[in-house]
Amino acid sequence: MTNAAAALVDHLFRNRAGQMVAYLTRLLGPQYLDLAEEAVQEALSKALQIWPYSGVPAHPSGWLFRVARNAALDAVRHGMLVDQKTASLAASEVARMASSADLPGEVEFEEQLRDDELRMLLMCCHPALPRGARVALSLKTIGGFSTREIARAFLSEESAIAQKLVRAKRQIRSECIAFELPKGDELTLRLDSALEAIYLIFNEGYAAQTGENLTRQELCGEALRLATLLAASSVATPEVHALVALMAFQAARLPVRVDSQGELVLLEDQDRNAWDARLVAVGFHHFALCAEGPQLSTYHLQAAIAAAHAGARSAAETDWRMILELYTQLLQQCPSPVVALNRIVAVAKVNGTEQALSELNALASEDSLRNYYLLPAVEGSLLLEAGNHPAAAESFHRALQLRCSEPEKRFLERKLAQCTDSLPIAHLESRYQDPLLGL
Amino acid sequence: MPNYMLLLHNDPTDWKKMSPEEMQKAIQKFIAWRQKLDSQRVLVGSAKLRDDGGKVIRGKDHMRVTDGPYSETREVLGGYFTISAANYAAAVEQCRDCPGLEYGGTIELREVEPVPGA
Repeated sequence: MTNAAAALVDHLFRNRAGQMVAYLTRLLGPQYLDLAEEAVQEALSKALQIWPYSGVPAHPSGWLFRVARNAALDAVRHGMLVDQKTASLAASEVARMASSADLPGEVEFEEQLRDDELRMLLMCCHPALPRGARVALSLKTIGGFSTREIARAFLSEESAIAQKLVRAKRQIRSECIAFELPKGDELTLRLDSALEAIYLIFNEGYAAQTGENLTRQELCGEALRLATLLAASSVATPEVHALVALMAFQAARLPVRVDSQGELVLLEDQDRNAWDARLVAVGFHHFALCAEGPQLSTYHLQAAIAAAHAGARSAAETDWRMILELYTQLLQQCPSPVVALNRIVAVAKVNGTEQALSELNALASEDSLRNYYLLPAVEGSLLLEAGNHPAAAESFHRALQLRCSEPEKRFLERKLAQCTDSLPIAHLESRYQDPLLGL
Repeated sequence: MPNYMLLLHNDPTDWKKMSPEEMQKAIQKFIAWRQKLDSQRVLVGSAKLRDDGGKVIRGKDHMRVTDGPYSETREVLGGYFTISAANYAAAVEQCRDCPGLEYGGTIELREVEPVPGA
């Protein structure tokens, strides 16, 4: 009995919750997503109430699926389905499944579950749904996150997230968004939309720089799981592999991005041996796969930049020329001031601080960067490197007036202190990569 | 050593609001606590009592059966553990890290009356 406790693998409940909701939604129909979620919640809370006394059953997943199926069947029998036609259809489906031998752990059933999850993800990421709703719905239904956890992760109100979810589900019903595997152009659109949502989830987690908010860090893991699900499916494209590679390279650095004192450790100073070697390998695996095809998406370019860093044995061995070239291409495809700012960091490495500073001046008038602390921060480090300490100090002062996290603030304060020291300054460029680009 | 019953009271509606991850963590804490008792060979038994459908029965000639007993209270008796311990103080110590307490529940601790000569 006690040995069975080992069967509770990490995130089993969270991951199985998503699969069970997807599985029941396939059987009941997307209009009864709520009912599927309730049945799953009931199964999980029964486990919570019984297992402390009985111990973990020998097949925890099988136990959960059986209880969730029965809960769904009960709801159908008690006439919870409003529409009679779908009700009788769902009833026969659920009755069939209740007697079926669908057992988690068996190869065929696990394959079916992955397919259910995939359809669920593509349904939750329907382009008709607002972007924020896609993110929230994916995390809730497939990710197994609670409304409260999503709110905490996105620094939002629980009621606001709940409302987003209610509206999204209503839209799924009213627009009859199907639980399907789309084809052709429709599939391309859905995949784009899903990749966007997944990358948003990842970045939200990645932007959380301290250990004080574990939920946010877990977003990175969930985003990787969802992207890997897509990559392993029949709908995988080179772009999907590019996103997996990009996120895996970035996630590999998460363990050393903050030191034991909670201070930021920048790429250049990170102990590269402490990067997660498994994730780096996953990154290179998918990076190789993403090259199969003529596409060169923004994910490809970002993954290539991340690969250049991941492949450099030391900061000094970084191929900045290639990185600059990649940023130039990325800027053409995605002309955003934030990308331009990141590119300037590479410009400084390749062409020197003077040219970087003059390009930075051209960016300074961008409205969207007006309140972006990284602009004066990059400027400060370039000036510091050029030996202009008073001007650098002025830049860091300006950066400190703008919104940034506590560790970022302490980092800027350390830089500011350096402006008054005359100690030789290490190269700083790679330190000011934007989290969006994940460097 | 005498046996002690740990009667765990909790509010089941609180538990229903937890996320899957939080539920799993709670179960794992209980399992770790059980393992501690097991490894000390003091866990005698345990059972969950159903939260719904309970009855209270009174009277002999005019036996009355009512639903409950929890209809008027928020907290219900969720289940029990029986452990062996040297005395009340030692049994209280075993309760100290029972996860039920962490989740807002209470434990009623009762010594099982030893039967003389048994």
